[in-house]
Amino acid sequence: MKNANTVRSMLGGPALILLIGALVPLLLTSGFHLRLVSIICIYTILCTGFNLLYGYAGQISMGQQGFFALGAYGFTLLMATAGWSFSAALPAALVICAVVALLIGIPLLRLRSHYLAMATLCFGLVFAGVASRWIEFTGGTAGMMVPSLKFAGHIVSRTELYYALLLLMVLVLLLQNFIVSTHMGRALMSLRGDETAAQSLGVNVTAWKLRIFVLSAVLAGLAGIASALVSRQVNPSFSEFPILVSILTIAVVGGLGTRYGALLGACVVVIAPQGLTAFGESETVIYGVCLLLFLMFMPHGLSGLFPTLFRRLRRKAVAPAIGAAQAGEAKP
Amino acid sequence: MEQIGVILLAGLTNGSVYGLVGLSISLIYGTNRVINFAQGEFVMLGVMSAILFMVTLHLPTWAAIGAILIVAILAALVLELGVYQPLMRRGAAPLTIMIGTLAAAIIASGIALLIWGPLQLAVPNVFSLQALNLGPLVTNAQQLAIIGVFAGLLLVTWYLMYRTPFGLCIRATGVNARVASLMGIRADRVVRFGFIFSALVSGIVGILIGPLLGGQVGMGVTLTVKGFMAAILGGLGSPFAAAAGGVMIAVVEALVAGYGSSLYAEPIIFSLILAMLFFRPYGLLGDFEAGRR
Repeated sequence: MKNANTVRSMLGGPALILLIGALVPLLLTSGFHLRLVSIICIYTILCTGFNLLYGYAGQISMGQQGFFALGAYGFTLLMATAGWSFSAALPAALVICAVVALLIGIPLLRLRSHYLAMATLCFGLVFAGVASRWIEFTGGTAGMMVPSLKFAGHIVSRTELYYALLLLMVLVLLLQNFIVSTHMGRALMSLRGDETAAQSLGVNVTAWKLRIFVLSAVLAGLAGIASALVSRQVNPSFSEFPILVSILTIAVVGGLGTRYGALLGACVVVIAPQGLTAFGESETVIYGVCLLLFLMFMPHGLSGLFPTLFRRLRRKAVAPAIGAAQAGEAKP
Repeated sequence: MEQIGVILLAGLTNGSVYGLVGLSISLIYGTNRVINFAQGEFVMLGVMSAILFMVTLHLPTWAAIGAILIVAILAALVLELGVYQPLMRRGAAPLTIMIGTLAAAIIASGIALLIWGPLQLAVPNVFSLQALNLGPLVTNAQQLAIIGVFAGLLLVTWYLMYRTPFGLCIRATGVNARVASLMGIRADRVVRFGFIFSALVSGIVGILIGPLLGGQVGMGVTLTVKGFMAAILGGLGSPFAAAAGGVMIAVVEALVAGYGSSLYAEPIIFSLILAMLFFRPYGLLGDFEAGRR
């Protein structure tokens, strides 16, 4: 499987994204815009995990915002309250996310479709409830401040933070491409198709579900930590409903089960509301209508627009097998 | 002794509400395998239009109730014709349709925000809120009405589902819509009836619960989720299991809040659901439903 073409399709996109991302700060004028592109990186990391879980493996989780907040709170509590260093708090917070995902994943992943969706949603809501009401520990609805990062006495600036996030996002995309284009991706997609068939072909269904659930929880936690660092605070809104709506919107708008759908969707979801603020109070309605229209008329999202175009271009250059493989991938 | 009576009564009141939302969700799910994420928004519309018709327009109570129920039916038709049908025609998966109903919920609360604003509003009561002594218990007519309506609607649903030819059609469509169509059942009408009936139930819940909760445009989500928790705990397959799940959740919630702190109520319920799922993945009273796609 591992020929030059597979490697090229794995590395090409992320390399291009890295290049464009590295140039973006040169074009931006205000700190606010830098913040927006940082949030795009965060949402991309968060939704890449969701995409692997739902888009590729077909296991829906509506509790990703819980892990998002868990990562952010874990990191902040370890760093600000317990006084750990950044290099210790970051992996520790991710380990917390992984352990919690493992613990709730074992009973939950016996469920399918709606049941799984609702049960994970319960987790997210319970987390939001605890975060806002356990005031002594989490600071209640006001949340907690996150100290700015220091490396060897040097305070990390917003631009440097953005570059770190960009690199992180590209690494996450590389990881996703690696998983998708190897036997792991095949195993995950077989879960989406038919679990019984997958099992009879020798795929360990339970183990793969659990692995991908934990991975997506860790990615959500990572995004949460990044979000805490960018906004310099954590509060219960990290685990609340709007984050879940954003995740679902990004997945639907970008295209489920596509490699760069998370990034495309994140760009739209972060940038579009900047235009919508002009509509004032009707913003929510317009948001919902757009989500509905995308579901109806572009079920494969923005990514669905490109494959035919890409395939035509590709087919001239490389073997048709790649095009066919990617078409198979884009199927929801 | 008196305390536990009051707690259980409060639990039963909330349980009636969660149970009726769970019953509505389960009814729609039973006809077309779609989870309606906008179910709580129907309740919200019921509450908010009660304010509109009773306070703003000063309609007499019976006319207002009629108007509220018409609003609920219209909302159900909009959801069915505007969201469910188009997605279904395009062959969307049930989970995609669920995200579609979520979009509908966002639109509904967005429109409500435009009409009523973000503030919590007082809702007029149909029944008296005066304290009423019932043996050792202190209650009020509104609370008793909620419990009574809960029992009444359960009975109506049961009669409809199991004692009428139309109920047989509903159950047949739930088992397999295509085969039901081959038998001459108009499955699309059964689905439409599911949406309308559940919206009516939610509208009635809205009229009753409004004075106790207060009206706020964001209240739908919480109710939807409580309804789902009820349906998961009881089992999505049967409306009555979902209703029982709702009562269970609310009683646990009331007991924990009464003897401990409301902080622990939600985590405890969630842990209970998790533990239950471990042993009975398809709900306490459901059996095969969750295993199918």
